[in-house]
Amino acid sequence: MSVIKVENITKVYTETAVPVHALNGVSFEIQEGEFTAIVGPSGCGKTTLLNILGGLDHPTSGRVEISNIDITEMKDSDLINFRLNNIGFVFQAYNLIPVLTTLENVEFIMLLQKVDKKKRRKRSMDLLEQMGIAEKANQRPSELSGGQQQRVAVARALASKPNFILADEPTANLDSVSTSNLLDIMAVMNREEKETFIFSTHDQRVIDKARRVITLEDGRVKSDEIRE
Amino acid sequence: MILKIAWKNVWRSRGRSLVVMGAIVVGIWALLFGTGFMNGFMVGYMADIINHDVSNMQIHNPEFKNDYDIKFYIPDGNKKVEEVRNWPGVKGATTRIIVNGMIASSRNASGVQIRGIDVQHEAIVTQLDSLIFEGAYFEGIKKNPIIIGKKLAEDLKVKIRTKIVLTFNDGNGYITSAAFRVAGIVKSSSIKINGQYVFVRQEDLNKVLSNGNNVHEIAIVTDSRIDEELLVNKYNAIYPGDLAESWRVIAPELAFMQEMYGQMLYILLVIIMTALVFGIVNTMLMAVLERMRELGMLMAIGMSKLRVFVMVLVETIYLSIIGAPVGLFAGWLTIRYYQNVGVDLTEYSEGLAAFGYSSILYPYLDADAYIVVTIGVVITAFVGAIYPAWKAVKLNPVEALHKI
Repeated sequence: MSVIKVENITKVYTETAVPVHALNGVSFEIQEGEFTAIVGPSGCGKTTLLNILGGLDHPTSGRVEISNIDITEMKDSDLINFRLNNIGFVFQAYNLIPVLTTLENVEFIMLLQKVDKKKRRKRSMDLLEQMGIAEKANQRPSELSGGQQQRVAVARALASKPNFILADEPTANLDSVSTSNLLDIMAVMNREEKETFIFSTHDQRVIDKARRVITLEDGRVKSDEIRE
Repeated sequence: MILKIAWKNVWRSRGRSLVVMGAIVVGIWALLFGTGFMNGFMVGYMADIINHDVSNMQIHNPEFKNDYDIKFYIPDGNKKVEEVRNWPGVKGATTRIIVNGMIASSRNASGVQIRGIDVQHEAIVTQLDSLIFEGAYFEGIKKNPIIIGKKLAEDLKVKIRTKIVLTFNDGNGYITSAAFRVAGIVKSSSIKINGQYVFVRQEDLNKVLSNGNNVHEIAIVTDSRIDEELLVNKYNAIYPGDLAESWRVIAPELAFMQEMYGQMLYILLVIIMTALVFGIVNTMLMAVLERMRELGMLMAIGMSKLRVFVMVLVETIYLSIIGAPVGLFAGWLTIRYYQNVGVDLTEYSEGLAAFGYSSILYPYLDADAYIVVTIGVVITAFVGAIYPAWKAVKLNPVEALHKI
């Protein structure tokens, strides 16, 4: 089943003195349960593409469907709600809420979804167990290592039961051990829970783990490699 | 959880939040004490004037106040005063003969209002005896004793037992004079009592005035729980030929002063709260700008703009409201303390006396003021919260996420 369908999207930034064509007719589909890396050199349009897939930005032209819903023309207020229930985000800088504990950070998104307190607490603890950081449940982000923080971020992204998870350079700030642990966890979640992951990355270790690699160059899909 | 996050966010930058809260505490304290202090001036001044000079209400012949001619007396004034003394809510009533004239000592002369008073009842109504600064209240001088104010005594360069001469028109229109001796000197915050009135016994004045036994003024002091306007209306209904007036009409400057000082709380409130709004907005803007990436993340993962707005709004309100009870309590405590011991302004007594103010000031603030200030703080909190909250929701999540 297709989770994401991108049809010939372009993105032109006109705020600059010279218009910048960040994306130039990009098309692809991502199926449920994929573990996909979007790669390419800096400025190739990875982040722009992720922003559009995540409903954070609108394409200049083209069409984006998520779970058969066209989000291209969706209003910003509708997109916020759509993101909440359909897309999980993992950011390069973790972006946890520093004043909340690990458990509360994971719970927070379910609170926005108005999930019952008991249910959200149980799911949060289950996810932290799966991430191997249950013992850190009552600690603040500042008391965790970078790798642990990113695992909390993954747990938070999974907590809302999204259709897919978008991870923007998730390992950029991690050492090799933390990167390896994180990738292993995400691979397990993908294999066993059929979670769909889409990464933008420069990191060869992430690329090596991916089962599909979409390479962008100058805003176009240069190659789309599916590995077995 | 939004309330919890907002609360925790307040304490992220503890020092900065404490500075703002401290400013709010000091602002509210200053507002309450400043208003209480000024109210103290006003209440003290008004109490002095009402208690020692104007009284709660006065009765005259309607013509009398036009030119103070002695022929415009109150018909049957002495009978009427007896009746009024028995009215519920009347604490005391006294009669006066009033005539304008000149006072002269061997050294100087001055224009004065000569008040022929009922010694016993005057003491009840205006507590004139309590103002005696030197000498005694119509004692120590057997024939024609006179009480004068301290300033007048200084101007005339007279002391106790000094002989002075009063000159005025009698009831037949003839200029007449009588000699009096200073029995007592009074000191009051009332400029009139201090320098413009002289007090003699009615019987002594009547001897030379040829005025029969008629009086020109009835002064009435009422129970503080009674609205004097009710008594004024009652008297005017019973005796339509006379003119009863409350202190508000007799001394409109006092009524104006009361109204003006009533506005003082609002003026100070607006000034202080406006200053606080800037402090609050500045602090919260810094807090929002520092957390742009976090706010961007919240919006990216699906937190609605309304929720972001409410979170920043609540955070600002917490920041503003926490200091308020402390400031209110500190203000109340300070006023309470000085209400008992008074603020000693003796150092400035001469200057204050020139304006009729007492040198010991008792700050005063009624309960309504605390409610007004509380409402003011809440409004300030909301006003201060709106701009930072609006700024937060105007963030573009994509741009905010990439801020360092």
